[in-house]
Amino acid sequence: MVVPALARLRDSGAALTIFTQEDPDFPPGLGAVDDTDLRRSYEAGVEIVPTLLTVESGRVTGTLQGWLRADWERVTGVPGLGEGLPEHRAGCGSRTLDPGMPEVLSARFRGETLRSRRIEVGDLEDDFEAMEARGWTDGLPVEPPTRERVFRMLQGTLRDPQEVVAVVPPDLVECTVEKVAINAVLAGCRPEYLPVVLTAVEAACTGEFNMHGLLATTWSSGPVVIVNGPIAARIGMNSGGNALGQGSRANATIGRALQLVVRNVGGGRPGGVDRATHGNPGKYTFCFAEDERGSPWEPLAVHRGMAPGSSAVTLFAGSGLQPVADQLSRMPESLARTYAACLQAVAHPKLALAWDAVLVVSPEHGRVFREAGWSRARLQGELDALLRRPGSELVRGAGGIAEGMPAALADADVPKFRRDGLLIVHAGGTAGLFSAIIGGWVSGATGSEPVTREVRE
Amino acid sequence: MTALEGQGVPAVYVASTEFVEAAAAQARSLGFEPAGVFVAHPIQDRTDAEMHALADAALDAVWARLTE
Amino acid sequence: MTRTELLDPTSERQPAARQRVARPASLRGLTVGLLDISKPRGDVFLDRLEELLAGRGVEVLRFHKPTFTKPAPADLRQEVASRCEAVVEALAD
Repeated sequence: MVVPALARLRDSGAALTIFTQEDPDFPPGLGAVDDTDLRRSYEAGVEIVPTLLTVESGRVTGTLQGWLRADWERVTGVPGLGEGLPEHRAGCGSRTLDPGMPEVLSARFRGETLRSRRIEVGDLEDDFEAMEARGWTDGLPVEPPTRERVFRMLQGTLRDPQEVVAVVPPDLVECTVEKVAINAVLAGCRPEYLPVVLTAVEAACTGEFNMHGLLATTWSSGPVVIVNGPIAARIGMNSGGNALGQGSRANATIGRALQLVVRNVGGGRPGGVDRATHGNPGKYTFCFAEDERGSPWEPLAVHRGMAPGSSAVTLFAGSGLQPVADQLSRMPESLARTYAACLQAVAHPKLALAWDAVLVVSPEHGRVFREAGWSRARLQGELDALLRRPGSELVRGAGGIAEGMPAALADADVPKFRRDGLLIVHAGGTAGLFSAIIGGWVSGATGSEPVTREVRE
Repeated sequence: MTALEGQGVPAVYVASTEFVEAAAAQARSLGFEPAGVFVAHPIQDRTDAEMHALADAALDAVWARLTE
Repeated sequence: MTRTELLDPTSERQPAARQRVARPASLRGLTVGLLDISKPRGDVFLDRLEELLAGRGVEVLRFHKPTFTKPAPADLRQEVASRCEAVVEALAD
């Protein structure tokens, strides 16, 4: 459409170079440069066609998008442009912004900015078999991390791809945003999940969480990721029915991405550093969001010090799920006793202080506490009191069981959990008078501390 | 070969020198280079004594490819 | 044919190429399978190799592909893999 204006500019002797995105022979007769591979358009950040760029000494010093006679005449210094054209036309979208093109062009022109080693799959190899043969999977198939997919994934964060996120055990490898993104692609994440995955990796690799110890233990535990804040709903996480089970892509792939980072970047895998006797299915993935809207209490992350309204992840060293049935307790005192009786059994009824736990309270059970006006602190306090047992019941040999607490505690009153060792979170479907316990691992300084971190976009 | 190695069984193939390029091309296509020992071509018209000599000459290389 | 190029998700401390499976320190005392791929004269080669390996204390088992034109059938591969600690395939020409 602006061909007449271009012709006039050419005739006037202006130093004009015309790049054409679609058809190398258009506009005819004006000596246009073929930019069908879109390199020049991409580098100049062209969004609309036509775009008029003023260039001085090789640098772009001005941009005009679309056609506006007054601007074009002013910028070029050539009057009488585009006779017969209207004063103004908005132009069309540049091909560089067609659906899918940004990632393709990033891969094409900025591929070298990705630093990870390229692995070529043989032309007779199946991509999925190739990845499995190289040990990149958790036993289930993974998504091939092509450059386009990794670029698309990196759109999910503002962080620089070469920023070091964490030092990952057991090999103590510096892990960049790019490496996390590659494993997030493997796991099947969408780009919008990446900030949560990055935060989970950061939190897991802190000294307090002790991912190395958690990996190397013979106990069944693995990292559990609990998500709070507005990001959970925004990325489609499940905090309701079957939230700790399958079916939600966000829940499934975020937890999985963390495990794959530990495996692939950190080098931690079963048969190697991972010495678990049984493990648990949560070591494939264990990630869910707290149901904050239905909760009787403030979000777990807020209870642990995060600002209300912020998004955060809490990492907990968890070993599977122990469901709790109580379909008859209408009063909070009774329900608390049910919880205490079941919590006492974490790891072993006679073992105290060594394990943490997470109590996942369902909406139907949560209603009991809400209607009675019990705050989180009230429930916590009640459970602490109920979870104290006489040492004489717990010592080795008591009850005919060799296992137990050291004899020195025989006269003490022994709490089941260390201080702050029991976390309470609200999640689950609205039908079901059940709650659930996620037993922990060795707690405290020798084991793992739960860690909460704010999500950075 | 690839399947055996995939199942954890160390494997080596013996082939005539005619096979060198084909083996390299196949390794590229399969994304995996199996261990190989090459013996002098031709094979098919050799006498028994000549075949035995080839085996004698190849033994150490075969052993080396199957051990650390 | 376009090859798929993937970005490496690992720490890159291992070589990029797929590695062969770990080898034992010695074949002495182990069971080694000799798989005849059924090209002419291969059996003569393998007869001699069997003699030599047995002389070095190796337990040798012999196997035979039905035809050299097709890959070994799955049950033959399974049998070889389950009974042998190492395998020699011969003789391609």
